Amino acid sequence: MMEVETSAPPRRAVPMAYGGGYVGSCNGLYPAPPSLVPGGGVAGGFYSGLERAIFWKSSHFHQQKIRGGGRWEYTFIAVDIHYLCDGTLLLPSSPAIAAATVSGMDFAELEAVEGLRWPWNAWTPSRSEAATLVVPLSVICTPLMPLADLPVLPYEPLSCSRCAAVLNPYARVDYRSALWICAFCHSKNSFPRSYAGIADHNLPAELFPTHSTVEYLLPNKNPNRNSFPSTSSFASLSFYTSSSSLSVPPAAAVSVAGPAFVFVVDVCSAEEELRALKNEILHVVAQLPENALVGLVSFGSMVWVHDLGYAQCSRVVLFRGDGELSSAKIQELLGVSHSQTPKLASSQAIQKQGYLLPVSDCEFSFSTAIEELNRFSDALPGHRASRATGAAVSTSVALLESYSPNSGGRVMVFTSGLATTGPGMVAEIELSRPIRTNREIVSDSASFHEKARNFYQKIAQRLLNRSFVLDLFACSLDQVGAAEMRFPIEASGGLLILTDSFESDQFKKCLRHIFKREGTDHLDMISDARIELVTTNEVKICGALGPCASLRTKNNSVSEKEIGHGGTSSWKTCTLTTKTSIAFIFEVGNYQPNTYPGPVFFIQFKTRYLHGDGSNRLRVTTAARRWATGSRSSSEITTGFDQEAAATIMARLAVNRIENYHPREVISWLDKMLIRFTAKFGDYVPEDPSTFRLPSGFSLFPQFMYYLRRSQFIDIFSYSPDEVAFFTWTLNKENVNGSLIMIQPTLFQYSFDGPPVPVLLDIGSVSPDVILLFDSFFHVVIHYGSKIAQWRKLGYHQDPSHENLMKLIEAPEIDAGGLIVGRIPVPKLIRCDQHGSQARFLLARLNPSATQKFHAGDPSRVIFTDDVSLQDFLEHLQALAVQG
Amino acid sequence: MGNSPLAGSQTSTPSKIDPNQIPRPMPGSSIIIFETRQGNQANIPPPSSSDFIVKDTGNCSPRLMRCTLNQVPCTGDLLETSCMPLALMVQPLSLPHPSEEPIHVVDLGESGPLRCSRCKGYINPFMRFVDQGRRFICNLCGYTDETPRDYFCNLGPDGRRRDADERPELCRGTVEFVATKEYMVRDPMPAAFFFLVDVSMNSIQTGATAAACSAIGQAIADLPEGPRTMVGIATFDSAIHFYNLKRALQQPMMLIVPDIQDVYTPLHTDIIVPVAECRQHLEQLLESIPTMFEENKVADSAFGAAIKAAFLALKPTGGKLLVFQSVLPSAGLGSLSLREAEGRTNISAGEKEAHKLLQPADNTLKTMAIEFAEYQVCVDVFITTQTFIDLSSISVVPRTTGGQVYYYYPFSALSDTAKLYNDLRWNISRPQGFEAVMRVRCSQGIQVQEYSGNFCKRIPTDIDLPGIDCDKTIMVTFKHDDKFQEGLECAFQCALLYTTVYGQRRIRVSNLSLPCTSVLSNLFRSADLDTQFACFLKQAASGIPTRSLSQVREQIMNLCISILHCYRKFCATVSSAGQLILPEALKLLPLYTLALTKGIGLRNDGRLDDRAYWVSHAGALSVPLAVPMVYPRMIPIHDLNLKEEDGSVLLSTLPLSSEHLNDEGIYLLENGEDCLIYVGNMVNPDVLQQIFGYTSVNGVSTQFVLEQFNNDLSKKLNNVINEIRRQRSSYLRMRLCRKGDPSGMLFLSNMVEDKNPGGLSYVEFLVHVHRQIQAKMA
Repeated sequence: MMEVETSAPPRRAVPMAYGGGYVGSCNGLYPAPPSLVPGGGVAGGFYSGLERAIFWKSSHFHQQKIRGGGRWEYTFIAVDIHYLCDGTLLLPSSPAIAAATVSGMDFAELEAVEGLRWPWNAWTPSRSEAATLVVPLSVICTPLMPLADLPVLPYEPLSCSRCAAVLNPYARVDYRSALWICAFCHSKNSFPRSYAGIADHNLPAELFPTHSTVEYLLPNKNPNRNSFPSTSSFASLSFYTSSSSLSVPPAAAVSVAGPAFVFVVDVCSAEEELRALKNEILHVVAQLPENALVGLVSFGSMVWVHDLGYAQCSRVVLFRGDGELSSAKIQELLGVSHSQTPKLASSQAIQKQGYLLPVSDCEFSFSTAIEELNRFSDALPGHRASRATGAAVSTSVALLESYSPNSGGRVMVFTSGLATTGPGMVAEIELSRPIRTNREIVSDSASFHEKARNFYQKIAQRLLNRSFVLDLFACSLDQVGAAEMRFPIEASGGLLILTDSFESDQFKKCLRHIFKREGTDHLDMISDARIELVTTNEVKICGALGPCASLRTKNNSVSEKEIGHGGTSSWKTCTLTTKTSIAFIFEVGNYQPNTYPGPVFFIQFKTRYLHGDGSNRLRVTTAARRWATGSRSSSEITTGFDQEAAATIMARLAVNRIENYHPREVISWLDKMLIRFTAKFGDYVPEDPSTFRLPSGFSLFPQFMYYLRRSQFIDIFSYSPDEVAFFTWTLNKENVNGSLIMIQPTLFQYSFDGPPVPVLLDIGSVSPDVILLFDSFFHVVIHYGSKIAQWRKLGYHQDPSHENLMKLIEAPEIDAGGLIVGRIPVPKLIRCDQHGSQARFLLARLNPSATQKFHAGDPSRVIFTDDVSLQDFLEHLQALAVQG
Repeated sequence: MGNSPLAGSQTSTPSKIDPNQIPRPMPGSSIIIFETRQGNQANIPPPSSSDFIVKDTGNCSPRLMRCTLNQVPCTGDLLETSCMPLALMVQPLSLPHPSEEPIHVVDLGESGPLRCSRCKGYINPFMRFVDQGRRFICNLCGYTDETPRDYFCNLGPDGRRRDADERPELCRGTVEFVATKEYMVRDPMPAAFFFLVDVSMNSIQTGATAAACSAIGQAIADLPEGPRTMVGIATFDSAIHFYNLKRALQQPMMLIVPDIQDVYTPLHTDIIVPVAECRQHLEQLLESIPTMFEENKVADSAFGAAIKAAFLALKPTGGKLLVFQSVLPSAGLGSLSLREAEGRTNISAGEKEAHKLLQPADNTLKTMAIEFAEYQVCVDVFITTQTFIDLSSISVVPRTTGGQVYYYYPFSALSDTAKLYNDLRWNISRPQGFEAVMRVRCSQGIQVQEYSGNFCKRIPTDIDLPGIDCDKTIMVTFKHDDKFQEGLECAFQCALLYTTVYGQRRIRVSNLSLPCTSVLSNLFRSADLDTQFACFLKQAASGIPTRSLSQVREQIMNLCISILHCYRKFCATVSSAGQLILPEALKLLPLYTLALTKGIGLRNDGRLDDRAYWVSHAGALSVPLAVPMVYPRMIPIHDLNLKEEDGSVLLSTLPLSSEHLNDEGIYLLENGEDCLIYVGNMVNPDVLQQIFGYTSVNGVSTQFVLEQFNNDLSKKLNNVINEIRRQRSSYLRMRLCRKGDPSGMLFLSNMVEDKNPGGLSYVEFLVHVHRQIQAKMA
């Protein structure tokens, strides 16, 4: 180990190292409504601070690196230790805590360090007071957020023997007796022998104060896999500084089975659609690593399982689509069951299964099987095609179960129409019988809905038991039953993609996204993830909202109150992306004034997962926040309010409520919450609306709620159940940044007057001589003002003398491309002209400040709606808030 | 004079019976021209085994319909006294002689055939037109109907319609009417053939699969041409493998139905396709099936599930399902158990229940078969096995659906492949019909008692025949419910509504009108031995599964004795008591009865499956084949060269007695199914060389293929065998029997005139019959 001169780490917290002009402009993306910002007008002309924050952060961290031995290395740095007055807690100067105590912080930047967003960065220890905050105590966690300089530690973590919290920088260490005291439960733990060299100048990385997040590379249980010697001590190995530089010894690539993919193809699709789909599947399969396993299941009124290991001719096993078979039965029929009796087992062994094979073994037969898929629909006139989607899913899961891949498995369903037969059917085969609507679902009169949901609940349990993922690619102009299928998709962490056609770019990009790999011989696919929370005694877990499932591991940090996936301190999800965000809701325990809880509380997020390279990993993020106590408590709470995170939490809570309540009730719930919220935090003279002011950190929150009320998440009757399922699924997994775009889309204006500027999401922003770039996350709309559209029609932009116009037209195109890149699900790019039919995508989300009832000036800039405008909404809100 | 005093007058001392004088079948040598009616009287048909050409002059050909009695007793009492059965053997599509006039097809346009409005009987030569032709009287029920205007015709001076000779339906015993829409519930079905081949381990290893595939491959060339001929194929072991034969595919696609409890069919199109569209695919597939399953280690065979799945594929159209099965169906729907072994252990416990093993194991297959029949699916089963297969259970399916069982036991890939091909080829290319309904009507006075044969019966009056072909015979028994007047005629009319392989809907109507008599001796004089014996055979066959063998044998013998006793008592009273008097028409009845009790079906030893096959075979057997089945033909072939050819290829036969076997001789014995060639132990090696190509029979395997060598003897032998094949419409299973070998014993077991553990010798039997009659007389 290289000895490096120790120097004091920067005393100041990381995010504070750069103040810069953007501090306080985190709302740059969201121009405040004129009525709430003194002076009115559009504040700031900035893009989201997020991109810049990432840039700054990385440059900052470079300063901490010490060059040695030709590579970047962390080494031991002496740490300042604060002993608190009660002597119970060891508190390093962590960036998180430091940041949390500083006002005017950028929450997005903190997120880049921790992967966490806290609507409240300071919590009140009083349960009654917490209830008055309206927005619950919660954290939006992106468990696998890519972090710069994430230490990857090639040894097993030390866990507290009592509360199982992993050793972290907040633990108090007694070097002489080789003990550490858990920050959560205060119990003493001794260091094992491998930590013998520990000293205040020689700390393992997990105790390093800047490393509130570390990742452990766990020894593999599977002896076939590459594994690290379990005896290795932290000191005997050089620390790897980041995951990218970590060189895992190449696993015996082909001998170890990789992840398994079962492609489930609907053969009732139209001819061209099927062709496009086939090409796309062949494309992605050709890109798969050689050890990946593939299977092919096709379905119409029956389920076809294609044998890829049979050379003599194409061989397919068929299952009836209208019956529900148990997994064991399916396996028995496929001849792939793991029988207990040795006699049967031997006969099974003779019969080699060929339904799931490594790509390297079946490339030819797979492509033959794909090419031989022919459109097959026995639909009669006046009837829908008979699709046994449910049976196909169940069969595919059984296929994976029989094979039990240990590197994750995905069932990828490609369908272009309604499930009309067997388990999971959502509509009858006669076209004269309509598809269920949201109204029917809400009023419990959708005849197949409940049954299908129950079926898919069972599927979800099977997927979770074995860590398999279900993806749905529904490429259809009509519905397919995604609303019913959403549950297993969301619980397993799969993708739910709704687009019009298999020929669309959106579909192709989403599909290819799953199989993305960046120069490695493995897929960037994470599987079998399990998130566990450890909290300070006073913090109780209510539940999680997001793509995960409760594991029902109840302990004393679990609250009686359940919100979302609750009643547990650990959750399972079969796959995670680096963007997947899960909201955890908490409450504080019963606060006894005589037991002082300490100045801070801790939450540890432990995410165990299987990396794409086959290694088992555990990421541990330990976060600390202050208890807001004493005289300054209310100001601490106010300054620690993150309105973006709060809006996200409220949106997730609202969509969660939509499942069980009538949308009308959810809207009134949102309104009630908002009124209580503004009444609590507003600054006003009672009964005088004109005096109403909100603190700056709160000013955008009512506006977010306004747009949320009007959004596709709440206004579900304008959408089909499938679309709502898709929107909800997306919202539930998206991080704060993405969620906010969904709640309140962004709108940029491109004009000859200067660089593009963000403008109000208002009908007033529509103008004939500008181009608008609208982003609602699902749709990216380039809206040409009528004049520009006319010029373009006349071909002026191709005229060299009108270079300006060409540039103006190009600019939003380029920026739209930038918005689309990397976003999953890929948004639909719509180009439309003012007054064109496609402009509805934009108009529907604009604030109707000018309607047919009230408008001034240009009659073409009017939205025909009965909805209340933002201004009216806020006025009403103020009036209600000041009533007390 | 029908009385034939037997062997002079000294029969009281049995030892003095001259074995050469006792009655034996004598094949007729010349062709008989048989006019069915002459001078408005029915003629007695020639023996079924003789060579005859029929001229239809009002009654139908005896090939189509034969009655046990050519005069109908006026009363039921008379019939009862005679102890003889009154039954018709109906073979509605039987093959005509090549020189016979084909059956006329009558198209009466949209109105369809004229029918009696009461009994729905079809117009026939015996309906009497009266009142200047304005009305007609039904010969079946006696009802008088108005003649429709467009069918009206004046009567001639003889009281017949003037157009009677121009209209086949008024002058022929058999015509075929073109069916109108009224006779169709749907468009006539296409000729769909579905082949189902067992590919379980045993089947592959014994070569049965390869034989079946090769047979199908060759036979499809003989399928009726045209766009209405459809084919499909599936294989099965413990799963069912269908094949998508669509032309667009590069190669056939195997579609596996793994669920053999709850079966289904994979597609409703592309599984059964017009033969013209898939011939190439099918040939390619049939070639590759044996290699595809070469390594198959699945021993189970899901026969029941497979036929069910294939049925589901055929359900929309109906059609023929041809199943090639090699092992006991041990898995899935309708699986069967090794009952034979159970039977063997039980047999010691009590023989009483042994016959139950000849009943189907359970109702599953029967229920399935009834459903098949409802959707016009006819099942033929080709059993190519070396083990017990529970034929009594399996045979229920073909029996109920109008199909038949082919049994190759023990299957030999070497010698049975040719027979399998020929059987299959005949099966699909012989004259046949689909989705048929048959009803027999008769004059008032008697009524149909029962139908028996291979069909499904859902309503009491009609029988449903999903498939009917030229070989199938249905027995119809009658009983009296009234009296006939002496001198009048009793009419029988069989109507078969069916669809031809070319998709035409036809009604074949056959009429037989026989005189009524109240004289017992007339009954005996007009008795039809062959038909009566066929009737006994079928009755014995149907009795086997329900009674013990000894009871069935006893019943058959008692029947024979009762008939002879009746004759002795009422018709030959003048003879002395010591004489055994046999009616001329029934003189061979004792011999055939003896042979029947010694046959596979009724003798005590023998395998369960063999007996079950015998039972199922007898059920639909035609009259001409009934006698050979129990009393085969034996022909010496070592001296073929010495005989002069006199036009006919076939030569005189020998009685089935080992006395006639010579150690230097070679004998051929055939029963329409099997052909045994017995080689004595002192045969001239030259002869052996000429026939077998070896100088010693030890070089020839028991199951062998008869080759034609370049010498006269071999050529003649082949000619003889080919002639037999032609006569029997059957390829014959060749078996070589060597004297002093188990195979020799098999041959000798066919020597029914010999005394053997199974029964008396012919002479002894005659003595026994005589004694019984004497006992009854006293």
